Amino acid sequence: MIEVRNLSKHFSHEGRRIAALDDVSLHVAAGEIYGIIGRSGAGKSTLIRCLNLLERPDSGTVTLGEQELTALPEAALQQRRQRIGMVFQHFNLLRSRTVGGNVRFPLELAGTLSPAQMDARVDELLQLVGLADHKEKRPSQLSGGQKQRVGIARALANHPDLLLCDEATSALDPETTDSILALLSDINRQLNLTIVLITHDMRVIRQLCDHVSVMDHGKVVEKGSVLDVFLQPQHAVTRSLLAETGFGQGERVEAWRARIGVPLLKLTFVGEPTLSPVLDKVGRETGLRVNLLSGTLSEIRDTPCGQLLVGVVASDVELPALPEIFAREGVRCEVLA
Amino acid sequence: MSGFDPSLLLTVDWPEIGGATLDTLTMLGVSLLFTIVFGLPLGVLLYISAPGQLRARPRLYAVLSFLVNVLRSLPFVILLIVLIPLTLLLVGTSIGVAGAIVPLVVGAIPFFGRLVENVLREIDRGVIEASQSMGAKLPQIVFKVLLPEAMPGLIGAATVTAVALVGYTAMSGVIGGGGLGDLAIRYGYQRFQTEVMIVTVALLLVLVQALQTAGDALVRRCRFG
Repeated sequence: MIEVRNLSKHFSHEGRRIAALDDVSLHVAAGEIYGIIGRSGAGKSTLIRCLNLLERPDSGTVTLGEQELTALPEAALQQRRQRIGMVFQHFNLLRSRTVGGNVRFPLELAGTLSPAQMDARVDELLQLVGLADHKEKRPSQLSGGQKQRVGIARALANHPDLLLCDEATSALDPETTDSILALLSDINRQLNLTIVLITHDMRVIRQLCDHVSVMDHGKVVEKGSVLDVFLQPQHAVTRSLLAETGFGQGERVEAWRARIGVPLLKLTFVGEPTLSPVLDKVGRETGLRVNLLSGTLSEIRDTPCGQLLVGVVASDVELPALPEIFAREGVRCEVLA
Repeated sequence: MSGFDPSLLLTVDWPEIGGATLDTLTMLGVSLLFTIVFGLPLGVLLYISAPGQLRARPRLYAVLSFLVNVLRSLPFVILLIVLIPLTLLLVGTSIGVAGAIVPLVVGAIPFFGRLVENVLREIDRGVIEASQSMGAKLPQIVFKVLLPEAMPGLIGAATVTAVALVGYTAMSGVIGGGGLGDLAIRYGYQRFQTEVMIVTVALLLVLVQALQTAGDALVRRCRFG
């Protein structure tokens, strides 16, 4: 669906050249939700703006389907953008228009529908985002979450095949964030719409995304399926972003080992085993008794999964035999002796 | 001059005051109309051509900006005289109310244009970026985003310009333009007829108050939400 190749972009700031994007490549499959995460200043904002060329990269290509966007002349690009929706952190609604008027705006820009058809489409979109009763209100009369729903309805108006979300939930409280994420997830499923989002919040990635790229200093430092990245993070930046979620805490192993002085096991659960009493079962079979140190049991998108760090208090079998025993139960076990 | 005898007000030539008021209103109305017609596009052009803006043309912007500064730095009295040939060419006379309108418009366009540019700069970049992301063309951005979003500010700018124009009309007497300001200078100042001075100044005050009140009311009506 989207093929990004070797994007680079530099900015000059007080005479210094700063690389906002440094040879970034990524592939987004049709129908998936693709997340890009990084701390502020990592270049993710520049990257998402390069996907619809609000920002022109210095070099590299962006291809959408069969069409290389970076090669399109301005007029053709404007035409194409009508079918790339974008949702913004600060909503960016027109204050001079009502809710209905804001959703109608992209339809007017496209100019393909009659006024009556536009009205019908506006009603349909407001229905979809649950704001049918607010059509005549001004944006200033809405809550943040409602404003973002208007932003989403507006972005969907011209039947886009790609939706870009630029920190769409970063200005919202946690509860509202959940409802917006649920809406995006519904839209992705109902319309089979490809979504690319940037965020600094791992929770957004965990709840919504299929694949993720982790950015740092203009580079993609790690990418993969969300499950893999959460459960087996490779890069220090990824681990630090994951710290508050309870996943991927490789760095704390040493501290635990020093404190309790027993061998440690890292157990990774994905899918069904997460929901079964695996530790109990293996314990009965092998006399394994463990001391639960840290970890998390959760869902990544809809897959239950978890990761536990345990200290081995007693075991009737040799430690190196444990991974195979756990593997029979569908649990990945690493011995950190 | 010692004290002011209120009974002198009875001696004021009221028909002449009425005529002067009408002249001022005519000059104000016509020149405000033309100022907006020419100054609004100028302001939009200044805004979009400025470096880093929608259609950045740094050289064009530098030239326009320089011309605006030149016209704004000329005292209006000088402009009245310098523009006599242009006025003759455009309206066939360089005197009277008709003769005053051309210099009034020329003087006010750069003033209003600069105000418009500043008002447009206050628009949230995010809103413009959002419309670009939806594939809006430049004219669509100007007419569907910039002007509607800036409407309260634009009305405010027009009000300030109208009040400034009232001040300019006072000087049009130099070329026989007439109006209340001219009356105040000729009778009130040069002929020491304090009563005329008081009446004209009072009328100018009422006019400026009325303009400001009307402008503020319009701004309130179109402020969003």
